[in-house]
Amino acid sequence: MASMLEFRTPGYNPYAVKYSPYYDSRLAVAASANYGIVGNGRLFVLGLGPAGIQVEKAFDTNDALYDLAWSEINENQLVVACGDGSLKLFDLATGDFPIMNFNEHNREAFSVCWNPIAKDSFLSSSWDGTIKIWSPSRPESLKTLPVGCCTYSAAFSPTNPSIISCVSSDSHMRIFDLRTPVTAKYHLAYTIPVHAPPQGPTLPLLSTGQTFAGAVPAEILTHDWNKYRDTVVATAGVDRTIRTFDMRNPAGGPTAVMLGHEYAVRRLAWSPHASDVLASASYDMTVRVWSDGSSGGAPPPMGPAGPNTIPVGTQLGVMNRHSEFATGVDWCLFGTGGWLASAGWDQRVLVWDAHTLLRG
Amino acid sequence: MGALDRLSQLGNQISGGTAAGGRAKLLEKNPDDIVVTAALRTAITKGGKGGFKDTFAADLMAGALKGIIERSGINPALVEDIVVGTVLAPGGGATEMRAASLVAGFPDSTAVRTLNRQCSSGLQACVDIANQIRCGMIEVGIGAGVESMSTQYGPGAVSEFSELLESHPEAANCKVSMGLLSEKMAKDRGITRTSQDAFAAASFRKAAEAQAAGLFKEEILPLKVKFEDLKSGETKEIVVDRDDGVRPGVTAESLGKIRAAFAKDGSIHAGNASQVSDGAAAVLLMKRSTAEKLGQTIIGKYVTASIVGVPPLLMGMGPWKAIPKVFELAGINKDDVDIFEINEAFASQCLWCATELGLDQNKINPKGGAIAFGHPLGCTGARQVSTLLYELKRRGEKVGVTSMCIGTGMGMAAVWVAE
Repeated sequence: MASMLEFRTPGYNPYAVKYSPYYDSRLAVAASANYGIVGNGRLFVLGLGPAGIQVEKAFDTNDALYDLAWSEINENQLVVACGDGSLKLFDLATGDFPIMNFNEHNREAFSVCWNPIAKDSFLSSSWDGTIKIWSPSRPESLKTLPVGCCTYSAAFSPTNPSIISCVSSDSHMRIFDLRTPVTAKYHLAYTIPVHAPPQGPTLPLLSTGQTFAGAVPAEILTHDWNKYRDTVVATAGVDRTIRTFDMRNPAGGPTAVMLGHEYAVRRLAWSPHASDVLASASYDMTVRVWSDGSSGGAPPPMGPAGPNTIPVGTQLGVMNRHSEFATGVDWCLFGTGGWLASAGWDQRVLVWDAHTLLRG
Repeated sequence: MGALDRLSQLGNQISGGTAAGGRAKLLEKNPDDIVVTAALRTAITKGGKGGFKDTFAADLMAGALKGIIERSGINPALVEDIVVGTVLAPGGGATEMRAASLVAGFPDSTAVRTLNRQCSSGLQACVDIANQIRCGMIEVGIGAGVESMSTQYGPGAVSEFSELLESHPEAANCKVSMGLLSEKMAKDRGITRTSQDAFAAASFRKAAEAQAAGLFKEEILPLKVKFEDLKSGETKEIVVDRDDGVRPGVTAESLGKIRAAFAKDGSIHAGNASQVSDGAAAVLLMKRSTAEKLGQTIIGKYVTASIVGVPPLLMGMGPWKAIPKVFELAGINKDDVDIFEINEAFASQCLWCATELGLDQNKINPKGGAIAFGHPLGCTGARQVSTLLYELKRRGEKVGVTSMCIGTGMGMAAVWVAE
């Protein structure tokens, strides 16, 4: 594999890496001492230049950091999810301390996501079983959505500011629609059992010919909305399988599955440049790039199949240069497309071009 | 926050963990578990000529219920409800079974009802009792099943279909006979006569070996009944304590000579389908906390059960759909299970389900099944519980699944743990 840029985070194990939506040369890494089990956190803001990757700024926190999100309205701001349940808004132009602290979650905050459409709000999810929606200028949350179990990942739809998705330890994906009236269900629109086979009289086949009878419930650690097909979400977690779902048919089971990771998948990211491509980072120390087969470019190995067949996605490449759990991966929004940043517990951030992995 | 919590969460993410279920979770012992403290059955005998041919279903049930009191030593007054699965009894057998419980020694304060979910009635009875206990409706109950096919099997078993039912094609399929539809399924799914005969011969061999080694003695309750000798015409009392349908020396070759029963070029015959039989079985259930309070010996635990529907003409597929569902409910997969008791309604369907689910042949019906010793319809589901729990204990294994296909197109499965 061709050369890649490398940055070390000595003493801190990264949990998330995100490219700035404003600059092609800036990225941020949320990292924690002692693998996030006990100790401090540190947020690195990194710049890519002729001399490689340099620290532009670093912020220290009293507890581990598990996720971060860049602000969509201020190029200098970003929010982090902290082990003490707090969310902290940092400004690159303002000192070493957060400009806002949001203290409501009762347990570890595991994910943050800025609203990409409305831009005036962000959300967080936590081990306390809730999702909270916040304004960057108000210390109290705007809204709390109950999930009921440890919620590893929550996100706004990239095309609709009112739709929120989340995945949790109970093996389910939930979709909230803030336009629905507040009822006993708190805007919950529907719930998808990620492990279950589609509802129907007969079990479907995978395009490899196996019967797809569903799986055992397992914690879902990550999910991401497709950037082109506005109803498609990919999920992955402890059962190592990446699945895609179409929100128009919540009972229809997975629309594609991708098999190959040997341990739990910690982070998924759809490409901002191609509608069928996504990247995954796993505890098996690899970052993999996949096509879900939807573009028609790469037909599934067994050829086209009947209506009751679930396509198996194609693995386009494996990046195996991390030497510990790979926990974060993100695509650069700019340039020719295909540049990725990955981070792992080997205390390294790697920036590389996915094209160098592709077969053929 | 808690470093230990974070550590165990990470550990679970890597190991696949117990947070969402798994075998380790299944083996946990909690005070609100529903446990089995006695499970037994009568012998199963051949319909029309076996040891129970002159014994009524209620008499078999009275015997089994009495056996439960004797073996468990439970105070009968503590049993609040008895559910008996029975399929062929006119009027659902409700009156006779209530009477049978009084004969067995239960006081009039013990309630009784019957139910009919065809071939899974005995299992449904256990599940109903377990659910009643789980939700706090009762403390102690008995799930049971019985069938006297000698006295109650016949053309009257299904009443006439109305024009309305006949006019709906899928509804009309509900009354197609089990033999005919299984024959068609075997043909459509390419289940060969040779593979069916091999499966059936294995069932006979396993049952004969178990019987010769006296392994069924633990679960069988000997019953003294009246028996009319057809040759001499005299009626005598006999003790029935062994399954008389088990025939040693059956081989795939000897089965290969039997003529197909449902079609000239067919593959199903008397030797590779379940036998018509008589028998009864009963299972005593309560919460673990109750069992410990009463000093009852716990032999196993009921975990959960699934019920599914399949097309009526493919009723044999029932276990294939019910087993994955019960796995999902229990949070386990096929590798977590040590023994599968899948009712052998027909070798064809049992074999097809096992192959399709990719189950290890050595884990299926290790002591033979309905092909070897019979399928008294209402009894089978409760019978499988004792067969399973005793065999798990014998092998020092833990997790078992019982399952069966159900006429008119359904399937049921349940997960049990031996202790």
